[in-house]
Amino acid sequence: MPSSRFNAFTDYGIGIGLRIPHYQHILEKKPVVDWFEIISENYMVDAGRPLHVLDQILEQYRVVQHGVSLYFGNADRPNRDHLRKLKRLVKRTGTPWLSDHLCWGSVDGRYTHDLLPMPYTWEAVETTAANIREVRDFLEVPLAVENVSSYAEFHMSEMSEWEFLNEVVERADCGILLDVNNIYVSSKNHGFDPQRYIDAVPADRVAQIHVAGHSKFEKYILDTHDHPVLDPVWKLYGRAIARVGRTATLLEWDDRIPSFDDVHREALKASHFLPHEAVAA
Amino acid sequence: MKPSPPSRLVDLQALMARAVMRPLRSDEGMQREWMDGSATAKVAEQFIKPNDRLDSFQRLEIYNQQYWWRLLGNFAEDFRGLRAVLGDAQFDKLAVAYLENCGSSSWTLRNLGNRLEQFVRERPELAAPHTSLVIDMVRVEWARTIAFDEAEKQPLLPEDVRDIPPQLLRLGLQPYLVLLELRHPVDKLLGKLKRQGEIETASLSNAVSSGRPRRRGRLAARPQTKPIYLAVHRQNFSVYYKRLEAEAYRLLCAVRAGVSLEHACVVACEATIDAPEVIACKMKSWFAEWMSFGWLTKPAGVDPR
Repeated sequence: MPSSRFNAFTDYGIGIGLRIPHYQHILEKKPVVDWFEIISENYMVDAGRPLHVLDQILEQYRVVQHGVSLYFGNADRPNRDHLRKLKRLVKRTGTPWLSDHLCWGSVDGRYTHDLLPMPYTWEAVETTAANIREVRDFLEVPLAVENVSSYAEFHMSEMSEWEFLNEVVERADCGILLDVNNIYVSSKNHGFDPQRYIDAVPADRVAQIHVAGHSKFEKYILDTHDHPVLDPVWKLYGRAIARVGRTATLLEWDDRIPSFDDVHREALKASHFLPHEAVAA
Repeated sequence: MKPSPPSRLVDLQALMARAVMRPLRSDEGMQREWMDGSATAKVAEQFIKPNDRLDSFQRLEIYNQQYWWRLLGNFAEDFRGLRAVLGDAQFDKLAVAYLENCGSSSWTLRNLGNRLEQFVRERPELAAPHTSLVIDMVRVEWARTIAFDEAEKQPLLPEDVRDIPPQLLRLGLQPYLVLLELRHPVDKLLGKLKRQGEIETASLSNAVSSGRPRRRGRLAARPQTKPIYLAVHRQNFSVYYKRLEAEAYRLLCAVRAGVSLEHACVVACEATIDAPEVIACKMKSWFAEWMSFGWLTKPAGVDPR
């Protein structure tokens, strides 16, 4: 949604991910960008260059935090040491909302550093929603959960992915970071209609949207974030915007990263789909 | 033991984590045999659905490969010097053994190598015949991680300690400062590696490929007759190495241990061959330099007195 309690009633436009190869360009040229998304874990350190750069960025730009290791879907409860460090960063950035993934990734303190797919069960709904509520209450900032790309499905699942997402966000009363590229990738890997997924998502909970590129292999598609956004994903993005309205949109480009201008130009293609265009160019 | 099909979330996650973290075959595929000798394909079929293009084994294999390629890629970036010492094949063997045994116990990959020194000491055969050099290299490369982003305390100001007599004065050191006693000139080796153009290739992508850059030739160094004392530290957000005289190293170690400044000076000079007036002059210049670097701090939570 354009502005809701899930994105702290903000009205952000089109942003890009803050990445190391672009640091110098951004700090020297100070390009006009509506907002940057940072990977929280890259700045959850005590000192040094990462925080020095971040502080300079914060002086000039709006920043939203996106995480990769909260693992809301873990059977284990959230790690309090992790949350304390994350909260310190939240206070530093003033992020209006914070996102992480609807996935699991560690067992008994051993980390995979991957975004592993959930079994879509009622037990997992309850566990995941409880973890999200605990994290939100600790961090005291609106949360949005992102649907992940997946390459496997489980026999024990009791519902579709979008039904699972909807049940979790309703029970946790949190927002959604709708990744339309991930929907596309998973739809090809699992053989469902991506438009059906888009149509099923509760529009009033969508706090932010991700777009990205992916890689096609012979028998599956991998979410690689190393290409421009492909046309079918833009098409899905258009459908999502038509449903949810003008929403903060972020292009992810994490590998084989081209110049800042190339990434920003790709991100701004999203403006063609946004109503009442008022986008920083 | 052959697992039964998981029915609870905790069981599914435990089973899948075991599968994902098992080392790959030499051709980088998933192991065909499960831990109990049964077929991994049968285990995968118990909890993962096939589709019209991939069977359960192949779908699980994608996650198994992603796990190893991601961790090995990060490990290789953090320990480029180690890789240059061991060569690609032995480095890969050590990396897989370390990650299989220790894995990652932190939410951040930054800490991936925090138990490597201990692991190499426990499994020296994995680094043979370069074990001693490998341990020095691992210590320096882990120290680089500490120096890069560890906390920085308020540096000590002269007025903080001006009126405190040395027998009462206690100081601290910056958390990012690492002091090492080495047998090999690892700082020189890493300088050589940097000049050879070994570049960092950071990737944030959640999906990774197996291709890690390979390098030709190995870095080698003979053990030195005298120990090398090295400070690994941070200045203006960059990591530097600084060689120290033995007395300076001992002095800093004693300061970090929390003894009084007077006692630290005594400890530092126990084995010196310098005349008292010479070592006194050196100490004066060392302290001036360390103050200029901001290495000295108040000790944690206590008045310097």
